[in-house]
Amino acid sequence: MEEYSSGDDVNLFFYINTVIKSSIVSLLKFCIEGVIGGTDYNQNKINQWTASIVEHSLTHLVKLGRPFKYIVNCSVMQKSGAGLHTANSCYWDTTTDGSCTVRWENRTMYCVVSVFAVAM
Amino acid sequence: MDDYLTDEQTVFDVEDVNKIIKDTLETVIGENSYKHSRVNQWSTNVVEQCLLRLSKLGKPYKYIVNCFIMQKNGAGQQTATSCFWDNSSDGSCMVKWEKDSMYVQVSVFGLAI
Repeated sequence: MEEYSSGDDVNLFFYINTVIKSSIVSLLKFCIEGVIGGTDYNQNKINQWTASIVEHSLTHLVKLGRPFKYIVNCSVMQKSGAGLHTANSCYWDTTTDGSCTVRWENRTMYCVVSVFAVAM
Repeated sequence: MDDYLTDEQTVFDVEDVNKIIKDTLETVIGENSYKHSRVNQWSTNVVEQCLLRLSKLGKPYKYIVNCFIMQKNGAGQQTATSCFWDNSSDGSCMVKWEKDSMYVQVSVFGLAI
């Protein structure tokens, strides 16, 4: 029988919220830059770009090998003065699950990528 | 003895969730036009009320609700989502709502516990 220590949950929680979160933020920025870094908003390519961003992000997240289910959401919007609001709300176990949002912009577009990680 | 869960409880019911989202949007935003000063409150209310009604369904699910409101200005916008989960029990529901002055999109993701 395995020994269970409640201290383990606290350490895992701390680990998730600090170490993993910062590595996920860098991972997402890397994926975004890799796909749309240096490009201008292009209606013909935008579909392909958003699909690439979510696929690459998800692949890298799964490679981390953590026992989590992931949802990756990416929104790209052309800069034209329109107002944009996004809100997220989650009903989960706050000790084990978490989320992370990265905002990126260049001269012609905004990109918002959110990752939700739910423990299995 | 393990608890017995019926198939009904472990399947994400898209129709129920669809109805909840539409009702919430009608209640919170209704016929209003896009107003910068109120959008923040609308998006917060939409996600909170959706989540409240989803949790009242009493199913063994964790939920993530995402609400996106954009002013109609001719700007282009694209959203993509990718999920790594259990296809047999987890699911999502997306509702797109278009008004004269704005686009609203609500996504609900349900993950079985």
